[in-house]
Amino acid sequence: MSAVTEVDSQMPDVNEHHESIWGKALYKFRRDRTGMLGLGIVLIYFIAALGVWFGIWGTEWSDVEGPKWGAMSAEHWFGTNIIGQDIFQRSLYSTKTAFEIGLIVAVLSTLLGALLGALAGFFSGTWIDAIILWLKGVLDSIPFYLFVAAVAFALKGNPWAMHVAMVSTFWTTTGRLVRGEVIKLRNFEFVEASRAIGVPQVTIIFRHIVPNTFHILLVQATIVFVAAIKSEVILSFLGLGVQDGVSWGLMISESTMEVLAGFFNNFAWASIFLFVLVMAFNMFSDALQDALDPKKVAES
Amino acid sequence: MDVVKYAIRKLVGGIPLILGVTFVSFLLMVYFGPDLTFEMLGKNPTPEQIAEVRKELGYDRPFLVRYSQYLKELATLDFGLSDSTGEPVSSMLIRSIPISLALVTPGFILGNLLGVLLALVAAYHRSGWIDKAIMGFSVVGMSISFLIVIIAFQILLSSSYGLNLFPVRGWNVHSLYDYVMYVTVPTLASVFVALGYNTRFYRAVIVEEMTRDHVRTARAFGIRPGKLLYKHILKNSAIPIITRIMFSIPLVIVSGSLLIESYFGIPGVGKVTFDAITTGDQPVLKAVVGLTAVLFVITLLVTDILYRAVDPRVSLK
Amino acid sequence: MSARDEQPLLSVRNLVIEFTTRYGPVRAVDGISFDVYPNETLGIVGESGCGKTVTGLSLLRLIPSPPGRIVRGEILLQGRDLTRLSEDEMQILRGDEISMIFQEPMTALNPVLTVGTQMVDVLTRHRKLTRKQARVVAIDMLSKVGIPVPNKRIDEYPHEMSGGMRQRVMIAMALSCSPKLLIADEPTTALDVTTQAQVLEQIVKLQDEFHMAVILITHDLGVVAETCQRALVMYCGEVMEVADIESLFERPRHPYSRGLLDSIPKLREEKLAELPIIPGMVPDLMHLPPGCRFGDRCSRATDECRLQRPQLDTSATLRNAVACFRPLD
Repeated sequence: MSAVTEVDSQMPDVNEHHESIWGKALYKFRRDRTGMLGLGIVLIYFIAALGVWFGIWGTEWSDVEGPKWGAMSAEHWFGTNIIGQDIFQRSLYSTKTAFEIGLIVAVLSTLLGALLGALAGFFSGTWIDAIILWLKGVLDSIPFYLFVAAVAFALKGNPWAMHVAMVSTFWTTTGRLVRGEVIKLRNFEFVEASRAIGVPQVTIIFRHIVPNTFHILLVQATIVFVAAIKSEVILSFLGLGVQDGVSWGLMISESTMEVLAGFFNNFAWASIFLFVLVMAFNMFSDALQDALDPKKVAES
Repeated sequence: MDVVKYAIRKLVGGIPLILGVTFVSFLLMVYFGPDLTFEMLGKNPTPEQIAEVRKELGYDRPFLVRYSQYLKELATLDFGLSDSTGEPVSSMLIRSIPISLALVTPGFILGNLLGVLLALVAAYHRSGWIDKAIMGFSVVGMSISFLIVIIAFQILLSSSYGLNLFPVRGWNVHSLYDYVMYVTVPTLASVFVALGYNTRFYRAVIVEEMTRDHVRTARAFGIRPGKLLYKHILKNSAIPIITRIMFSIPLVIVSGSLLIESYFGIPGVGKVTFDAITTGDQPVLKAVVGLTAVLFVITLLVTDILYRAVDPRVSLK
Repeated sequence: MSARDEQPLLSVRNLVIEFTTRYGPVRAVDGISFDVYPNETLGIVGESGCGKTVTGLSLLRLIPSPPGRIVRGEILLQGRDLTRLSEDEMQILRGDEISMIFQEPMTALNPVLTVGTQMVDVLTRHRKLTRKQARVVAIDMLSKVGIPVPNKRIDEYPHEMSGGMRQRVMIAMALSCSPKLLIADEPTTALDVTTQAQVLEQIVKLQDEFHMAVILITHDLGVVAETCQRALVMYCGEVMEVADIESLFERPRHPYSRGLLDSIPKLREEKLAELPIIPGMVPDLMHLPPGCRFGDRCSRATDECRLQRPQLDTSATLRNAVACFRPLD
């Protein structure tokens, strides 16, 4: 036994009633200041997004009533863009776009990854596993941007093409991790015991094994959220991203030419909004990983 | 001989994958792709003209025939002529691939080398302020969108609002000096972002190796720290590090170059692909996707063989 | 057996080792003292968590530093205080004058290097030998630990060997520079019973041959009985009793030692209704009682025991001593 584990085994269990991984995690997380800060910032953004969603603010994002490339002023806090739209309004509206993409893609891809990963893991070695693994390999090998383009074509320019493409490719990492964990869990005795009592396989998978992967799913969901938001930026630049409304990615793409002429507001503010949210989310995600398992359970 | 047999077996095993990738891509891009018929014709085309163009573009043939035709093209590396420029696809690729390689290679090497070095420093000073600083920098690198970094560097280095040292876009390379001029800004941008992800990952791997029992054993026998580092930590970290580097190769060449080249107007494979996407140039798309799939499988294979060289526990079975 | 007035090879005095944990500083070892004489085998016995592994590591200054450190105390190796040496000086000593072997043979050796490479590395580190010469010595060591066909085995990787064989390799490596002291931390715990016996036998035989002292750290009293001449019993970071083997097993003086011995399942003439255990639980290191740490669980404890910490009574020598106000004699 190493010195540190020897000492550690003597440590008291502070939350004596919470033996579970979640209780301990919550305790550890609450003490992680960076993580709490990250979470706080994310919540602020989320409230902003909700406000836009309910029409409380950010509604004037498409109004063309300001001067061309207006400077930052009392009327237009962040100035205006090339056709006179208020940059602040647009930045604010984009929080809704960002959360929409992030949440939809994160939730759906995590569900898909959990489902396929659990099936592949539970039936590992059989044709079910082989097919799912093959599918994963195929999706991983197609260059992401090409795939999005292809899906956009196939769906004939539907604004949800981007989301579909993202969900279809982002589930693979989650799926791989879940599969690994399920294979490990499958060999545990409680599974043998359940089988011996005659519990049907489906129940075993979904009632007993999958809940033991929730910590992986949670962390992966946060990672996918960030990946989705970041991908949108580049996709919008390539013309494959957000089609209606506005997003930080679109704002930045609009700004590519004007920055060389010295007009930085569009670029700066969209970048700042985006960077702060992503950074906060990353801090939150890190703290979450540390709290749930000192050995990181996820990958980026 | 063992290695060759192993390689062949792995390549053959990769065929379902190649088939899968080409099938899915073909389905999505070519079958559902834009119909260029009317682009090629003028106004008020007659039905005969339409039929003729369709025949030329190959739209009239059934799906499976078109797909097997595609596979044949892939096997013989003959992709026909570009729909938009009329140039043979193969020569387009031959022209643009070296440019892409010249563009992404310095960034790739630097990004990984620096990543490993920074990770070593961070791991050695674990929990100290150096470690925290390096990790902080990584998180920032991971959180800024690549696009933002590109634009920012452009402003800082290539515009009159910054240093104005480097060309804004393009690729007019006729000498080493030209090369350095054109490659620097894109390289700096990609290294900045890559470092974020790489340093974090490599640090985690190195720390994990540092805390292993056999490192403690070596210390207990008085092995000097330098030797410890090399023989016991780095060598053992090699596997996950190599895996990551290898798997990022197809990613970097295709996806990475796509963005940089479109932005800086550099005529490499990425730009060719991007143009093909926007104009719906099927022969080019088919070629790029097919080759990427093959590249991926070859990468898998090479990675596997590298494992064997570094980790004696893995056998060629 | 060593003469009564021989000088100890190793003397530990008042050693305190502290770890910084998220709950505050914790003393894994709280003021222990003991001597090791040349050519003897000293057992350090105790439950998991009592500080015996930490003690072993500290002798080679291998405590991971953060979070642990030696707060005070002396570790005298033939007069030199090891706590005052520089890291460089310690590196020269490790594997040469003092060697240590560990519990898990599976993970203690580097999986990507051959056994030979690892052994040669140690030899060339401490002796002026070429790698070829070192290899010859290594093969010889392998045969000394009872590994058949050593010239073939030397080029194998650890995963190609069984656990028992790996442990023998560790022993060979540890002895290759003829150390004065071998520290063996639970060397047989991870092995099956038959292999255990073989490995222990090997250690005993080699100890004789190499004229070295051995500190055997274990929780298994059976192992101690077979191989050690003296043993010390640790509990909660302190030494409770130190005695030579016969005395310890036949006439244990500390109530804790007594409890340990009683709880070994053994063949008895009259069957007992229950296996005797020591009631209560080990106190947690953050909330230690002011007095004797075993107090709560001791049937003989008095108020004095609970309020005052008993020290090792060194009126005799540290060969045989007990830390108790009411020892069992």
